[in-house]
Amino acid sequence: MTIEAITGRYLTVTIGGTPRRIYFEEAGQGRPVLCLHTAGADTRQWRHLMNDAGVTANHRLIAFDMPWHGKSLPPEGFETQEYLLTTEAYIETVLAVIDGLGLDRPILAGCSMGGRIALQLAALQAHKFSGFIAIEASDFQPAWYDIDWFHRPDAHGGEMGAALVSANISPYAPKAERWNTLWMFMQSGPGVFRGDLSFYTRDDSLIGRLSRIDTGKTPVHLLVGAYDLTCTPEDAARTAQAIPGATLAVMEELGHFPMSEHPEGFRPYFVAALEKMDPAQAAAA
Amino acid sequence: MIDIFQNIQRMLETSPHLQRLGRLFSETVLIEVDGQEFYLTFDKGRIESVVTGPSRKTPWRFALRTDGDALTKFWQSRPEPGFHDIFGLVKIGRGRIDGDILTLVKNLRFFKEVLALARTQEEQPA
Repeated sequence: MTIEAITGRYLTVTIGGTPRRIYFEEAGQGRPVLCLHTAGADTRQWRHLMNDAGVTANHRLIAFDMPWHGKSLPPEGFETQEYLLTTEAYIETVLAVIDGLGLDRPILAGCSMGGRIALQLAALQAHKFSGFIAIEASDFQPAWYDIDWFHRPDAHGGEMGAALVSANISPYAPKAERWNTLWMFMQSGPGVFRGDLSFYTRDDSLIGRLSRIDTGKTPVHLLVGAYDLTCTPEDAARTAQAIPGATLAVMEELGHFPMSEHPEGFRPYFVAALEKMDPAQAAAA
Repeated sequence: MIDIFQNIQRMLETSPHLQRLGRLFSETVLIEVDGQEFYLTFDKGRIESVVTGPSRKTPWRFALRTDGDALTKFWQSRPEPGFHDIFGLVKIGRGRIDGDILTLVKNLRFFKEVLALARTQEEQPA
């Protein structure tokens, strides 16, 4: 029998003028690290690192399900709303969780759309954080697919979404974790993946903001998997080059969901990224 | 090349979970390799026939056009980046998908896993 160290609770905050009940998990103690999941998924993507005693010995890892995702409910009246995530709502949500949990300048670690918003926050709200780990994150890529495929009455959006994103998983990923990663997409609520992709593939506002990021105050480290077709190493490199002082590591055997698809392969990159979150070390690097 | 598609056809016969995934899929798919046409006709999740072209009379629902070297790499147990998925082939300019893409997307897991049946069996499909 195993009982994991992860604990889960609920937090109610006001976002967009309405209360939102947000599910969050945490493990460990020490410097807080707020972890953001990808589009169409949830907090479970971070469970391996949250169960990693070597990481949680001196870091408090916190992950939360975005509203509409995982165990966080959509807002009241959702049944008549079209879910379309925006940069503004995403930023408001992250900041509301930080304030609600009373986190003091956490490191922000986000993957995919979570990495995108981490870079937005690095540009717009850096004083609230002590460093940024932007995983599979880039300035912008338009969709190479039609996001409307993933929300239609005649097909299962979750199954189609999972089949699509499987293109972004490395063949080195252990089979069980590949399928655990895809399961989250299969479980995603109707229209949620589409609404996330709307933010990810249509909002290019980050491009003009990258040069504002001051890595002397808050380090920025990017991580990208070679098997990521959505945010390719070229996309991440272009983005890192536009941020003075940002660093980048390419993970040769990983894809778009590294912490989830291949926890063992990702661990050393994440540990190295945490070490870079010390501004003194980042400056010396 | 036709041997490989016929092998996929045989392997699908012994893959009940794939037949279940494809039970609503009865379409003809064109796979074009170095300009050579292969028509795979599916019936309720099984491959009824593999026929070589050229043919102007065979209607198909969607097509994957690629080259033999790319498919050889795709069928490695651990393909290089880009060669690991049909959309990867498209992304790196080694493949093109034409026709009714929505039908492909609705059956994407099934189709990708069927195509990956020819992958060297070390790890996993698609």
